Amino acid sequence: MKKIMASKSISIPSPSGKTVQIGNNGELVLIAGPCAIESYDHSMKVAELIGTVCKKYDTEWIFKACYDKDCRSSPTSFHGLGLEEGLRILERVRNETGLSVTSDFSDPSWGEATGEVCDLIQVPAYLCRQTSILKAAAATGKPVHLKKGQFMSPWNMKNSCRKLESFDSDQILLTDRGTFFGYNMLINDMRAFPIMAETGYPVCFDATHSVQLPTSMGNISGGQREYIPNLTRAAAACGIDALFMEVHDDPQNALSDANTVLDIKYFEVVLAQAKSIHDTRRELREKWGDDNVHPV
Amino acid sequence: MIMSIQSEIVASDVMLRGNKIPKAYPKALLKDVLEIMDGHSLGIVCIVDQEDKLEGIITDGDIRRLLSLVQKPLAALLNDDAVNHCVTSPLSVNPNTLLTEVVAQMGKKRIWDLPVVSEGVLIGLVHLHPAIEAVMSKQKP
Repeated sequence: MKKIMASKSISIPSPSGKTVQIGNNGELVLIAGPCAIESYDHSMKVAELIGTVCKKYDTEWIFKACYDKDCRSSPTSFHGLGLEEGLRILERVRNETGLSVTSDFSDPSWGEATGEVCDLIQVPAYLCRQTSILKAAAATGKPVHLKKGQFMSPWNMKNSCRKLESFDSDQILLTDRGTFFGYNMLINDMRAFPIMAETGYPVCFDATHSVQLPTSMGNISGGQREYIPNLTRAAAACGIDALFMEVHDDPQNALSDANTVLDIKYFEVVLAQAKSIHDTRRELREKWGDDNVHPV
Repeated sequence: MIMSIQSEIVASDVMLRGNKIPKAYPKALLKDVLEIMDGHSLGIVCIVDQEDKLEGIITDGDIRRLLSLVQKPLAALLNDDAVNHCVTSPLSVNPNTLLTEVVAQMGKKRIWDLPVVSEGVLIGLVHLHPAIEAVMSKQKP
């Protein structure tokens, strides 16, 4: 059996015209921000806090915040600022920081507007096999960040990639955010990274949603944030091209995913370790080559 | 009489053609390859590119050996690309190869099917049973 490691590099546009490259055994790229866009001021504040750390560790990053959280467990939970207001804020953040920005979208009719602002289009995990969403994501012409559904096997993500390819999209980032382990519980199968990498597309670890305990608190999700460092180190050692984290300056009062977002005060220690392990893995690859133990 | 007829018959006289040849693209899922193999009631699927260039074959024997060795879940195996499990550079014959030679090769390799290739392009498939039937029908007065 031919083993195909992540060989493609995808190019994320940015306001400066310089692209952010993810994949092909390159530098670790970070996708980070608050779960939801709470306000312009808050978005800028979090972007500045993350940016300061990323600059210290010479890490390229993409600002992430969503304008509509359509999969909330409760109808009374914060749903987001909505398409128009949310994208307006994202556009301002993009223009004023010079960062690439990304948001997910949950309705095909939102695709075009999202693509006009965002440099990377995120497909929510729950919708990762929805043809209409994938078609709308591809139609933006932007790279697509496709999260593995918690119900999906890593090998079946190839089918979603094939759908995107059929709509002329070949700039895809595949992310693991955990897999359902019974009810209200996720686990990370680290084999997901090399298995998804067999598609040839770069792979990413979502460190904060992976510690989620879905809808474990009645009508909201809980989370075990204390395991973010462990899982991040494991994923970086296993082999990833990008790291995704939701970061907040005041998690207790975060309007979305309050139980899983990483407090900004811990952000540096998680990123620094992930980057260090990533760089070590790249050195090991230089010395020993791609993993090719007992190929089947 | 039989000897003279056999010496005249070539691969292109007896080969399966067109949609009677089980074919799949390299990125076809293994599950689809199995369905194609079963749908043609043959033990082989030819893996071809968009221009019908032969890239490999998968036989039912390959699948048997694979199933006895593979450790990954069946669901993952069935989702693999055909190209990951095909025999590349398979044995083939050209359209003008004498049937006697074709059958001799089949006997030597203990196989039932041989792709017929012209300039790298798959144009037919010699399957042992139709080949024998062709020979026998030509023997009739």
